[in-house]
Amino acid sequence: MDIFVQQLVNSLSVASVTILIGIGITLIFGLAGIVNFAHGEFLMVGGMATWFMVGAGMNFFVALVFAGLLVGALGFAAERCLFRFTLNRPMNGFIMSIGLSVILQHAVIRVFNEFQKSITDPIGLVWTIGGVDIVAMRAIVVAITAVIVAITYFGISRSRYGMALRASVSDRDTAELMGIPVRRYVTGVFIYGSLLAGIGGALMISLFPITPFTGSVIIIRGFAVSLIGGLGNVGGAVVGGLVLGLVDGLSAGYGYPEWTDAYSLVVMILILVLRPQGLLGGTLGPKAS
Amino acid sequence: MRQLGLGLTMAAAGLAMALQTARADEELPIGVIAAQSGSFVSAGNTIVGAANLAAQQINDAGGIKVGDKTYKIKLYIRDNRTDVNVSIAAARELVNDIGVKAIWGTETHDFSVSMAKITGPAKVLQFSGNSSLGAVLDDKAVADDGWLHYTFQSEPQEWQRSGSTAKGVLSLLTPQLKSPPKHSVVFVGNDATGQYLSSHYVKALEAEGQKVDLVQYPPDTTDFSPLLTRIKGMKPDIVHFWYNGDSTLTAFPQALKLGVAPSYFLFGVDPGIYQERSLKADVPVTMSCVPVCWGSSPFPEVKQYFEKYFGLGAAKGPQSSVSLLYYDYFFWYAKALEKVGKIDDPDAVVAELLKSDYKGVVSPVPLVFNKHHQVTFATEVCMVEPNTSDKFKCAVEQPPAAPPPGDNGG
Repeated sequence: MDIFVQQLVNSLSVASVTILIGIGITLIFGLAGIVNFAHGEFLMVGGMATWFMVGAGMNFFVALVFAGLLVGALGFAAERCLFRFTLNRPMNGFIMSIGLSVILQHAVIRVFNEFQKSITDPIGLVWTIGGVDIVAMRAIVVAITAVIVAITYFGISRSRYGMALRASVSDRDTAELMGIPVRRYVTGVFIYGSLLAGIGGALMISLFPITPFTGSVIIIRGFAVSLIGGLGNVGGAVVGGLVLGLVDGLSAGYGYPEWTDAYSLVVMILILVLRPQGLLGGTLGPKAS
Repeated sequence: MRQLGLGLTMAAAGLAMALQTARADEELPIGVIAAQSGSFVSAGNTIVGAANLAAQQINDAGGIKVGDKTYKIKLYIRDNRTDVNVSIAAARELVNDIGVKAIWGTETHDFSVSMAKITGPAKVLQFSGNSSLGAVLDDKAVADDGWLHYTFQSEPQEWQRSGSTAKGVLSLLTPQLKSPPKHSVVFVGNDATGQYLSSHYVKALEAEGQKVDLVQYPPDTTDFSPLLTRIKGMKPDIVHFWYNGDSTLTAFPQALKLGVAPSYFLFGVDPGIYQERSLKADVPVTMSCVPVCWGSSPFPEVKQYFEKYFGLGAAKGPQSSVSLLYYDYFFWYAKALEKVGKIDDPDAVVAELLKSDYKGVVSPVPLVFNKHHQVTFATEVCMVEPNTSDKFKCAVEQPPAAPPPGDNGG
């Protein structure tokens, strides 16, 4: 029983970072209409920046904020200099983002090196409750993720900005006629999604070492989460992340461990076949015009 | 007029000396194929680092004297981008266009085998540090007309490495545990190399009396906690992390937090990295390196080598020691060329390599190639004292004489 509960606790923390990257992707992909395959590298840059700042003596939680801001600025630069030119041709943007991901990987190798980076656990505590080990930093990651999810959810569903954004996704031309600065909103969403990737990277390196290639692995899960939940749907990204987290945790614990990745992708395929709009429904994603 | 004559004589003498110098500095083209980008870059850069150091040292020492000529090594380094197709293209270019005499590389079995299909027919020697080549290096493959006649495996056979590692790990850990360890879990990445290596290591542990469970994880896993929780439920005495150093360095701290086992073995993690990362465990931890450790070697030659290697700007990483699977073979190859007396007789060079030995850095005992073109050397296994990051006790274990029961050796 202890082992089963431990697996459930593991699943929750597995889900957290995935949810964060999933939210970033679901916003950028589902609402801004940009397929940014370099989003995983944005996360990696956030993790590397955190590693550098913590190594220079900065407190982890301060570094986390700076990492988010840095990657948000990177997102701003990428959107202004690259993706704004491909808004009407999403496939061009997609291919461009693959190129950007490779460039970012090798820029990081050039600046630092190719080896994995890690930081000391910022909290360094393990709570044992009823035979279940709860790593304190993992609990904090879950808590930070919950706060970000709440802020994002209410920002998208309740705020004036969120309503305008959703209107832009439904009908861009009409939204523009109503005076909504759609392009500026797209930029804003891209920056916010990138900022989340930066924070996700900082949280990730607090739990696991990262390499310049970490992003290319996690991006697949990020897209899976956003599609499972429903594109552009923050709640959907949370549900998608939890589904994948549970499938990962329980399949690793009780299934064929070497198939762990396959189980979650099979779940994704099943959901997309049975509910193409995702579990909670969402947008149709980017449209070429 | 006499001055003009003297001037012409001096000019002619100068020209002759220049020509002689040029002749003395003839080029020996050698190819290096390694990942300088992509996910194998960590291992690939070590091959390039070793090649640069070896070539520099040979050239600075005057080059290679072959017959009446002296050759300086000219390296042609190609990035395989961690892509087998790029490796093949690079091998074709180096062999067909550049005309290299030998190629060093590459990081992984599949790539090396693909390259051998190009180097073999062209009679270009290939030195590859993949123990998994043992699966294909047999009597037929290395025969005079065999497709691997010109390929050499610069890492011991896996049953040898696994045997010496298992013995070293158990001999270091047993005195540290309350009762002799009986149950081991081998935790390994589920890719071609992981499957090959673990198949031998499991047999080696069983030969040492261990009950062994094998748990494989998908490559690129970062959160190992679900799998480690599963392993904790198996109640092992030792968890053996194989084979990827980066993955091990990700999984091991997670295992410590979950209290998975009373002792651990970390394959491919150098004591130097353990120390640099300030890793600490309250239980005994052993580790071994491929092929020897840069962080805690008992051999002065190894220490000197790594000072020079890192002095050239190579980064200190978990796989830095892999460079030693390539370094010594430059000197051995040079020695063979000098003995043969010409650079264009690869069959004679192969024959010379097979009958000669070389005392290099990687082993205090001279290296020799067996009839299947494979070397043998011992394995260094280290144990770090609990609750410390820098107090190591290391032992050098010789490989067993024969494969364990159930292991066909290939």
